[in-house]
Amino acid sequence: MLKRNFLIVCALLMTMGCSDNQTNNDTNSVWEQKGDMLLNWADNFIIPGYANLNSDLDALSVSISNFSNDPSNANLYQVREKWFSAYKSWQKVEMFNIGPAELTYYNSKMNIFPTNTNLIEMYIEDGNADLSLSLSYAAQGFPALDFMLFGLESSDEAILYTYQNSSKHRSYLTKLIEAMVSNTQYINTEWVNYRSDFIASTENTATSSVNKMTNDFIYYYEKGFRANKFGIPAGRFSNTPFPSKVEAVYSGYSKELSLEALESIADFFNGNNLPSLKDFVDNNAVDTNANLTDLINAQFSSIEASITGLNDNFRTQVSINSSQMMDTYDVIQHGTILLKIDMLSVLQIATDYMDADGD
Amino acid sequence: MRVLLQKYLNQKSESVTLAVFRICFGIMMLYGLLRFWYKGWIETTYIDSKFHFKYYGFSWVKSLGDYTYVLFVICIISTILITIGYKYRAAMIVFFLSFTYIELIEKTIYLNHYYFVSILSFLMVFLPANATFSLDNVHSKSNYTNIPKWTIDSLKLLLCIVYFYAGLAKLNSDWLFSALPLKIWLPSKYDIPVIGETVLQYNWVHYAMSWGGMLYDLSIPFLLFFRKTRLIGFLLVVFFHLFTAVLFPIGMFPYIMIVSALVFFDSTTHHKIIAKIKQLIPPIQSKKHLNPMLAIDLFPYKKKKLTLILITAFFTVQLLLPFRYLLYPSELFWSEEGYRFSWRVMLVEKIGNTSFKIQNKKTGSFFYVNNSEFLSPLQEKQMSFQADMILEYAHYLEKHFQQQGHKDIAIFAESYVSLNGRPSQMFIDPKINLLDQKESFKPKTWIIPFNDDIKGL
Repeated sequence: MLKRNFLIVCALLMTMGCSDNQTNNDTNSVWEQKGDMLLNWADNFIIPGYANLNSDLDALSVSISNFSNDPSNANLYQVREKWFSAYKSWQKVEMFNIGPAELTYYNSKMNIFPTNTNLIEMYIEDGNADLSLSLSYAAQGFPALDFMLFGLESSDEAILYTYQNSSKHRSYLTKLIEAMVSNTQYINTEWVNYRSDFIASTENTATSSVNKMTNDFIYYYEKGFRANKFGIPAGRFSNTPFPSKVEAVYSGYSKELSLEALESIADFFNGNNLPSLKDFVDNNAVDTNANLTDLINAQFSSIEASITGLNDNFRTQVSINSSQMMDTYDVIQHGTILLKIDMLSVLQIATDYMDADGD
Repeated sequence: MRVLLQKYLNQKSESVTLAVFRICFGIMMLYGLLRFWYKGWIETTYIDSKFHFKYYGFSWVKSLGDYTYVLFVICIISTILITIGYKYRAAMIVFFLSFTYIELIEKTIYLNHYYFVSILSFLMVFLPANATFSLDNVHSKSNYTNIPKWTIDSLKLLLCIVYFYAGLAKLNSDWLFSALPLKIWLPSKYDIPVIGETVLQYNWVHYAMSWGGMLYDLSIPFLLFFRKTRLIGFLLVVFFHLFTAVLFPIGMFPYIMIVSALVFFDSTTHHKIIAKIKQLIPPIQSKKHLNPMLAIDLFPYKKKKLTLILITAFFTVQLLLPFRYLLYPSELFWSEEGYRFSWRVMLVEKIGNTSFKIQNKKTGSFFYVNNSEFLSPLQEKQMSFQADMILEYAHYLEKHFQQQGHKDIAIFAESYVSLNGRPSQMFIDPKINLLDQKESFKPKTWIIPFNDDIKGL
């Protein structure tokens, strides 16, 4: 195979190499461009993203241990506040389901919603639940904490009362944060080693970093963002809306979290003025679709406007007017078209889920 | 005219040419089938899928589930028999039927070269490719030195059609004047050693390769036909196909075409190949001494007239079929009405995204389908920009949701497609209930017309 490639290359160079060389004025090769983009992703998005989350979770852990020792109203509020800022940091990294995160099912452990409250209650009672089992994914992470901190009872007094009188509840709360901290720490540590693999993998194959990350990005946009946060609760995939399937259903912070997620999506695409998917699309766009990245960014703005018009609590929004949420979904869906069709058509990313001949 | 035709039909040529072609064909097919199996594609294509897209008129072709392996085994055995030339005709019929059946099970994996293999094997059923150097000779104790020349010419004609029509298809404004889709494809091959980062990135190379590819396809039949240019033609064939094999994931196609082109050489070349095979496998040499064969000059054709009529009909269809798109008013590359079976190879870059809305006609309530619940990624990708598949899938969804108890449903498609890097455009009229539409050869009026213009054939 190699030998054959070599022969072809030689033959081609003989036929074409003797003509002009003037067009070669690109200072940066495609390899270098992709390498720069990966470097930007790793050093300015992924690694700091996990580091932020890690320290937010550490702070949450401290506040939970304070609360566990002294289940007071003030301490509960402290925990809730720390939980919310960690959840916002989570929105920055959910799309990076690659490398250590992918291998350890990290995303499933952190943000499966709706959370399984029956299972949580069983685990509380049991006291010995193994949170590393896949069965338990729907009873841990941020959505489980959302339930534990906001949804256990109908009033804050009742929630406090539960924690004051049940060591089992306190211990499950501790168990949850411990798992989240250790899972996140693992990702953080692994990225130290994984980083060099990640930034070195600049070829165009189904398993190279650029391709996997781009596919993950689009998958996150379509599934994690579009379907999970909007489509499924709005009833896009069912006959009826499901108010209970919104993110952060017990605390009611769904809108703010989704805006946070949208911002991460737009930032990742644009790269904060450093090499990014946007640059790649700009470099490769066909004349007829030359302003594609403008269209994509305009779409992000429309989505933001549409989300801003929704109720702060998506559960309320879906309950009283799910069709407005559907409208938001439609605006997001148009973004899917731009990313999945227009952008991919230009980028020619080999997909990681298909293996077949073409002709 | 009649005399001339009669004279042509009586011309003979050495049977060794077809024998070499037969052996090459058998080995290539054997390798191709084993490769398909080895890659796990039997499982992913034919067994894992809940639903298979069918060719119009062939909905009776059923997936055999796990028995697909049996079908492959049968097909594989036939390739071995073809290679050694044992019960050649029966083996060729079995190969044609089993291979074609496999292809008919699932439309989304349609490839021009699978179609090529199907029709080539059909043609070969009627050719005396076992006239020499086959086990059938040993069996019948007779060896035929010559066969009618037209039998070899029919293979050449089929190959010429493939190349020439592929060339004609490239005579369009996107290919020639915008270098599309090569301008999109080639830069993404930056990771190919040496040329990827340099040559493939240049704009002029995209144009040169577009024009070169077009000129290559149109001229190869002539280069191979004339003795003087044959060698250069063949070298071009080897170069071109190996080059495309490096650039694109096109499986067996390049190798099949290279090996097939050997048929254009005269019989001295084929004698050399046979001699080489004999050298490599000594037992064949020795066995010949045990069974002295009767050397007969010309292979006696049974039902010659019927065969000739059939082959003439076959080629008439082959020549006309690619032009059926003229009967449709829509832009061919957009609607793909009359696109398949026409040697339009590596011609357009298309991506689509199609979601389906299931609506209750009485209450107006609706929901959207998650395609990945029903389709493999490859099926979903192919379905998303091909109207016949969108329609077929909609009817499948109807059945599925009716079984789930949904009544009075209408199905609408929300479909966007990008052609050769253009901005994505709505593909299917979203107000049309697809369940009111039936598949047919008539133009599909519910495809939204292409909003650009591609000139050419």
